[in-house]
Amino acid sequence: MLCEKCKMREANIRYTEVVGGVKTEYNLCSHCAREMDFGHYSAVFDTDYPIGKLLAGLFGLDADGGENDEFDVNQVTCPTCHTAYSDFVKDSRFGCPDCYRVFDLLMSENIKKVQGSDTHTGKRPLYNREGGQEGAGEDEETRLLKSIEILDSRLKEAVQEEEYEAAARYRDEIRELKERLGEHA
Amino acid sequence: MLKWYQETENQHDVFVASRIRLVRNLTHCPFPVKLSGEERKKLAEKLEEGLKDIGSVCRKDFRRISLSAAGGTEREALRERRAIGAAGAAEEGMESLLLSEDETVSITLAGDDHVRLQCMSGQAELSRLWEEADRLDDYINERFPYAFHEKYGYLTAYPTNVGTGLRAAVTLHLPMLSAGKRFGKLVAEIGRFGVAVRGVYGDGNETYGSLYEISNQKTLGVTEEEVITLVKQMADRLAASERKMKSVTLKSHRTDMEDEIFKSYGVLRYARKLNLKEAMTYLSQVRAGEMEGLLQFKEPVNICRLMTEIQPANIRMLVPEEEENDLNQARAAYIRKLLPELV
Repeated sequence: MLCEKCKMREANIRYTEVVGGVKTEYNLCSHCAREMDFGHYSAVFDTDYPIGKLLAGLFGLDADGGENDEFDVNQVTCPTCHTAYSDFVKDSRFGCPDCYRVFDLLMSENIKKVQGSDTHTGKRPLYNREGGQEGAGEDEETRLLKSIEILDSRLKEAVQEEEYEAAARYRDEIRELKERLGEHA
Repeated sequence: MLKWYQETENQHDVFVASRIRLVRNLTHCPFPVKLSGEERKKLAEKLEEGLKDIGSVCRKDFRRISLSAAGGTEREALRERRAIGAAGAAEEGMESLLLSEDETVSITLAGDDHVRLQCMSGQAELSRLWEEADRLDDYINERFPYAFHEKYGYLTAYPTNVGTGLRAAVTLHLPMLSAGKRFGKLVAEIGRFGVAVRGVYGDGNETYGSLYEISNQKTLGVTEEEVITLVKQMADRLAASERKMKSVTLKSHRTDMEDEIFKSYGVLRYARKLNLKEAMTYLSQVRAGEMEGLLQFKEPVNICRLMTEIQPANIRMLVPEEEENDLNQARAAYIRKLLPELV
């Protein structure tokens, strides 16, 4: 399962909160878990107290925690086919069409090196609109797809820069656009 | 019906074959490597059902071959005839093949990618093959939407195919050029232009029969026409060098050349056992002799057909199982049967 906050790394912490009889469950990766406010339990992740270290070790956190840990690109995982970036590096093979979107920022330089370019200029599919409707509807759909793509890359940049508030905003915008796209199809 | 490599009309001295290959994937479906055996099978069935009338596009009869059900030898034989890629021959996965009767058009389903479309012919005609592949591609696309990215173009399992998904290749017979000391240097030099040269038949590092395939390496940021023009230009350059060398040798060492060619013919005509390397070397000599008019056969023959059909798996398919223990004997017998007498 992917972390529900960054949606990029595998979740390895399940946090269950019961407030006033309402149970909420979070599935997070160790990276995002540190960012979350767990009330006084946060101490578990920060403290120098040995048991904290022990727990942190179990959760897969760096024992010394703190700001200096680096974003590990190898953990970035495609939500559709669960190919991790490290798998891609190992086999130089993608798992599904969505991998190109997910790994775009990470591998575009490498693709450029291999291919000498990173932008397609050749043939385009003639019949790629499911439903096959032409005219205004199609333009609208193309426009929506384009904006989703732009927002998607901004979202990934934001996550990489660890600006999670901005990332959440982009995520909501993408969700809204996708709903509109669904109505169109 | 004759297969494309069996045609005896319009043979060219250097250009032996042309090939256009397109790789395509469907939207909303992981690449075959991420699918279970069952899912691959379903995907192949869905594609087969959608493409059952594909023959109408190029007016050819197609047959369906289940590669997973086919034995290793049959798959290997198809690879030797270049109807499928190495991945299709090696892997024990579900994969099916739509093959036209003359074996010019082959469509591999659920291999490395969802669809691998290939058009081949024994002539130097990349542009016509591209037109044919383009039409077939549109026909498939009409039924199955493709995974396409605004920036990266057609999406493929390997990043080396992304963009156009196009491999344009020309097979050349280069007996003179490849015997020269400078051939390795020449290949390296051509590589700088983004074109790869590799031996078609052989064993590891050694190429048998002097057949070489010239193909584009890059697939992204170039249009299909640019790729085809590049491959054509490089192939033309190699062909011109080969011809020049041949005419020089014919002038200076005509008797030596004739001697080698007639000796080769003699061995092929009367040998009782031939291993692959011997057979390929002599056939290559005989082909060069025929193309120069030094050898004249009573009946027309396509030497490249023999080169294809004496490959190990193809020979094994030809001989009954009880005689399988000596392929070299079967190979020599097969060549004796097909090689015509001299005028």
